[in-house]
Amino acid sequence: MSMTTTEKNPMAVAGPALVLLGLAVFPAVAPHFGLDYYTGFVMRMLIVMLIATSLNYLMGYGGMVALGHAGFVGVGAYALVAMTEAGITNAWALWGGAMLAAAVAALLIGAVSLRTKGVYFIMITLAFAQMLYYLAVSLRVYGGDDGYNLYSRPVLGFGLDAADDATLYWVVLAVCAACFLFFHRSVGSRFGQALVGIRDNESRMMALGYPVFLLKLQAFVIAAAVAGLGGALMVTQNSFISPSSMHWSQSAVLIVIVVLGGLGHRWGGVIGAAVWVSLEETLRMSTEYWHWPLGALLIAIILFAPEGLGTLFHRSPAGKGEGRGGIFYLLRRSA
Amino acid sequence: MTLFSTRGLVKQFGSLRATDNVSIDVAPNEVHALIGPNGAGKSTLVNLISGMLPADGGSIVLDGVDLTGMPPHKRVRAGLSRCFQVTNLFKKATVLSNLMLAVQSHRGSSFLPLGRRDGETALAERAVELAGRVGLGGELDRIAGSLPHGAQRQLDVALALAADPKLLLLDEPMAGMGPDESARMVELIQLLRRDMAILLIEHDMDAVFKLADRISVLVYGKVLASGNAEQIKSHPEVQAVYLGSEVEA
Repeated sequence: MSMTTTEKNPMAVAGPALVLLGLAVFPAVAPHFGLDYYTGFVMRMLIVMLIATSLNYLMGYGGMVALGHAGFVGVGAYALVAMTEAGITNAWALWGGAMLAAAVAALLIGAVSLRTKGVYFIMITLAFAQMLYYLAVSLRVYGGDDGYNLYSRPVLGFGLDAADDATLYWVVLAVCAACFLFFHRSVGSRFGQALVGIRDNESRMMALGYPVFLLKLQAFVIAAAVAGLGGALMVTQNSFISPSSMHWSQSAVLIVIVVLGGLGHRWGGVIGAAVWVSLEETLRMSTEYWHWPLGALLIAIILFAPEGLGTLFHRSPAGKGEGRGGIFYLLRRSA
Repeated sequence: MTLFSTRGLVKQFGSLRATDNVSIDVAPNEVHALIGPNGAGKSTLVNLISGMLPADGGSIVLDGVDLTGMPPHKRVRAGLSRCFQVTNLFKKATVLSNLMLAVQSHRGSSFLPLGRRDGETALAERAVELAGRVGLGGELDRIAGSLPHGAQRQLDVALALAADPKLLLLDEPMAGMGPDESARMVELIQLLRRDMAILLIEHDMDAVFKLADRISVLVYGKVLASGNAEQIKSHPEVQAVYLGSEVEA
């Protein structure tokens, strides 16, 4: 129900379409304005949007506040490295393999973590992610602490040259858009509706006969697989990965991004990532102490848009689903 | 003939035996009421039967299927559906969305992440039918949390009915209701008993005596007495611990 009303609003379709169009033409236009550098920057932003959107799916719609999402990003990234070392060069195979690796890790970690709730769930996901982090640090073959350099970017095939930033940008944009569309559609599906039901009222869902644990596990695995894809795209772009990108503080940053953009808001991950990555970039250029203004700005946003920036653009109609009460509500309720 | 039975159910919390060797039966289409003073262990028993708490001993059987040790959602699938003492709905969703979610649980898989659930007419039709059954046919687009208390309880019952239960477990359905709302709930339960057996936990004595074929009295976790309304009313021990105090008050 809630879906149809927003879809009929012309702005709700035109806005995202314009943004997508703008993103699509950016690499073609940028060189004319001397903004070549920003093709890579926007590509990085797109990947963060993808990862944040997967976390928003888990947290915002599934009600699972996980503090270990960067761990799955790392699993995807290191899976790509391992497969490259094994001689696989096709990007699609590498990305698919990275998703699979993250999904398997999430299946095992989720099977244990999802037996807990609230603060315990936060702590146990954090613990597992840190285990993955130290595992990466101890992997001498892949550079350990120093990280790992790819000799060349994977091969895209179809006559596409991955070494060209603009080409890779368009492929990344297409992949991110497809994933985003999947998440968006999935919320209105049987699974999505059940997931939102679990977020809103787990005991009632159990009494209705839903296999709550397995449904949560599926959401956990899907979110992790996409995070793993994000990690693989990161390595593809940078030809470099180090364990620091799976440190727990990165998981915390991802939560901040989602809360900033709007927990359980359709555009939460996208808006949050756009704002965060842009601020980080501009503030870092102007001052060495860039965390200060960033922190102050975050406090202001939390005060004036406690349910996230997404709610400033459009608030979904009352009903199940989007934008309800933010992270404090979730934590208070599941504590 | 029995549809549902517990045998020797036990639940121990530290030194407190909250459920002490409880054996009760419910026959098909029977309304079996469970009464008892506060702290008698009614809620614990409800949680043991619905599977929210594991039992420390004893067994639970519904229609020949052993439910002991089954997780709550599987008991629902086996035909044991429950309502909650405190109304337990999706308060921000409409009545129709609430019911569609309930129906969805029993029709097809809920693991499909694609396709539009709200477009499934079969689910919507069944949801509308359930709303009509509990008298909420005209409230489909209302937000559940904005309904009056009595109507919220009716919706709570409708959600439980989506499972087509063999046994409906009603946990104090009249709690907090005014006389009109109570009368409507009594009427609804009279209707439902044609299709299912009902285990009714209730404080409202008028309603219990009106509805119940059999009444069991729970005191300190034990079944003190069991029988029809007349037998219970005249039972000396029951009068002493339960009804007596009400008469005095």
